[in-house]
Amino acid sequence: MSDAALPSTEVETSGRRRFFRAWPPAVLLALAWIACIALVSIFADWLKPYDFMALDLRDRLAEPVFMGGTFRHLLGSDELGRDVLSRLIESVRMSLVIAFLSTLIAAAIGVSLGFLAAHFRGWIEQVILGAIDFMAAIPFLIIALAVLAFFGNTLTLFILLMGMHGWERIARITRGLAIAAKEQGYAAAASEIGASPFRVYGAHILPNIASTLIVAMTLNIPEVILLESGLSFLGLGVQPPLTSLGNMVGYGREYIQTAPWILLSPAVVIILTTLAVSVVGDWLRDRLDPTLR
Amino acid sequence: MLGYIASRAFRALVTILLVLTFAFFILNATGDPAILILSADAPPEAIAAFREEWGLNAPLWKQYLGYLWNLAHGELGRSMRDGRDAWAVVSERIPVTLAITIPALIIKLVIGISAGIIAALWRDTWIDRLVMAFSVTGYTVPSFVLGLGLMLVFAVQLGWLPAAGADSWRHAILPIVTLGVAGAAVLARFTRSAMLEVLGQPFIRTGLAKGLVWRAVVIGHAFPNAAIPTLTIAGFMIGSLVAGAVVVESVFAWPGVGRLLVSAVGNRDLMVVQAILLLVTVTMVSANLIVDIVYGFVDPRLRTARGGLARGGT
Repeated sequence: MSDAALPSTEVETSGRRRFFRAWPPAVLLALAWIACIALVSIFADWLKPYDFMALDLRDRLAEPVFMGGTFRHLLGSDELGRDVLSRLIESVRMSLVIAFLSTLIAAAIGVSLGFLAAHFRGWIEQVILGAIDFMAAIPFLIIALAVLAFFGNTLTLFILLMGMHGWERIARITRGLAIAAKEQGYAAAASEIGASPFRVYGAHILPNIASTLIVAMTLNIPEVILLESGLSFLGLGVQPPLTSLGNMVGYGREYIQTAPWILLSPAVVIILTTLAVSVVGDWLRDRLDPTLR
Repeated sequence: MLGYIASRAFRALVTILLVLTFAFFILNATGDPAILILSADAPPEAIAAFREEWGLNAPLWKQYLGYLWNLAHGELGRSMRDGRDAWAVVSERIPVTLAITIPALIIKLVIGISAGIIAALWRDTWIDRLVMAFSVTGYTVPSFVLGLGLMLVFAVQLGWLPAAGADSWRHAILPIVTLGVAGAAVLARFTRSAMLEVLGQPFIRTGLAKGLVWRAVVIGHAFPNAAIPTLTIAGFMIGSLVAGAVVVESVFAWPGVGRLLVSAVGNRDLMVVQAILLLVTVTMVSANLIVDIVYGFVDPRLRTARGGLARGGT
C-alpha cells in the first residue's frame, strides 16, 4: 500500500513543479496585483470611502493608521483634509485609463502604418520608415512638454499625446510580421479568391500576428504609466481637480517633511503596477514569442 | 568610410530640421502667443502692440522663414517674458545641469557596465540575480519616486544631506545618485544581455577550443563584440546629458536646463522653449551621429552594409 502511494505523491510534486515552471510565483503575484488594481478602478465609485475632492477641514494632515492615525482616514489625509485613500483609488483609475487608452491609440497607429508600409512598399514604406526613425530620435518628453504648454491641457489631448508614445515600435514589428505573412499561403489564398486588402489584413493577417502585438502593447503600458506620472508630477499632465498617481506624488512633494504619507502610497502603487505589468509582459513575451527578446 | 559618415551626417541634419519645423508649427499654430502671454482680457491695443513687436502679424510661413534665417545667423530670438536673448537665458543653465549629469553619467557607465558584465559571467548565480533585481527596480521605479525616496531617507530622516537647492556641492549628491542609479540599472540590463548573446556565439567556443584561457577569450573576443549594443544605449545617455534631468531637477529644485524648460512651458515662453528644443535635439542627434561613426570604426560590417561602400573606403 505504502509503495503504491509513493509514485502518486511524486507525480503530484512534479505536477506542482510543472505548474510553477509554467506560472512562476512572481508572475502569479504580478497577475494578482494587476487584477486587484483593475477591480479597484472598475469599482472605484463603490470603494472610495469619501468623494476624492471632499474637504475635511477639521481633519487636515491626519496620519494614516500605520503611523498612529485613526480609521477615519485609513491612509491619512492631505493639507486640505482630502482623504488619501479615496484620492488614491481615483488616481489608480485615471492612470490606468490613460495608460490603456493611449496604448490602444499607439497600437492603432502602429498597426495601420505597419500594414500600409507592408502593403504598398515603395516610397510609402520609405516615408513610414523615416517617420519611425524620426520618432525614435526625438526627445519625446521634451516635445510632449512643449505641445502641452501651447495647446493648453485637456484630458483628451493628453491621452492623444500619450498615444503618440511607442507607436513606432509597434509599427516596426507590424511591418516586419506583415511582410512575412504576405508570403505565406493563407494571405495569398484569401486575396486570390477576391478578398479586399482590408479583409486580408484585418481578418487574416492581424489574428495571426496578434500575439506578438499583444506582447508589444503590454510592454508599452508601464512606459506610458511612467511617462504620464512623470508629466503629472511636473504639474503638466493631468490637471487638478482631476488626479492621477503622478499628480499625488507631485502634490505630496511639498509636504515631504511634515506629511510623507501623502506621497508614499501613490509612489508604492506606481512602482508595484509598473513592476507587475513588466513582469507579466516579459513572461508573455517568453511564452508567446521568444523572437522578440 | 567618408561616404558612410556623410550619409549619417545628412540624416542627422534632416532630423534636426524636421524637429525644428514640427516644433515651430505646433507651437505657433496652436495658440496666439500674444494672448497666451498677455492673457485674454488684456487691452486690445496692448495685444496689437505685442503682435507688432514680435512680428506676429506676418503669415506663418513668413515667420517660419524668418525664424530659420535668424537661426542660420545664430540668433534664437528673445525671451517673450523679459526680452533677454533666449540663448543667453538657456546657456547660463547648461553648466548647472552638466554639474549633475556628467558625474551621473560616469556612475552609470562604471557601475552599469561592470554590473552587467559580472552578471553575465556569473550567470544564474546569486550575483546575477542580485544585479537583475537591481536592474528591474531601476526600470520600474520612476526617477521622481526614487529621488523623493532618497530625499526622505537621507535628508528628512537622517538629516545627512540637504533636501533641495543648489548652494553647495552637498546639494548635488542626491540628484547625482538618483540619476546615476536609474541609468546604471538600464545599462546593466543591456550589457548583461549583450554579453550573454556574445558568450553563446561559436567563436567563443572556438577560442576556448584552440586553447585560449577564459580570461583571454572574454577580454579579447567577448568584450569588443558586446560593446556594440552597449554603445548605442551609452550614446543615448550622452545625448540626454542636457535634458535628461528634467524630472530630477524638479524634484531637487536644481536650477538647470530642465527646470528652465518646465518654467518656460508654464510661462508659455515660446522662444525659450524653442531654444531648449534646438539644444536638446542637436545634442541628441549629434550623440547618435558620433555613435554611428564610432560603430563604423568598431564594426567594419556596418560600414559596408549601410554606407554603400563595399570595398576600400578610407
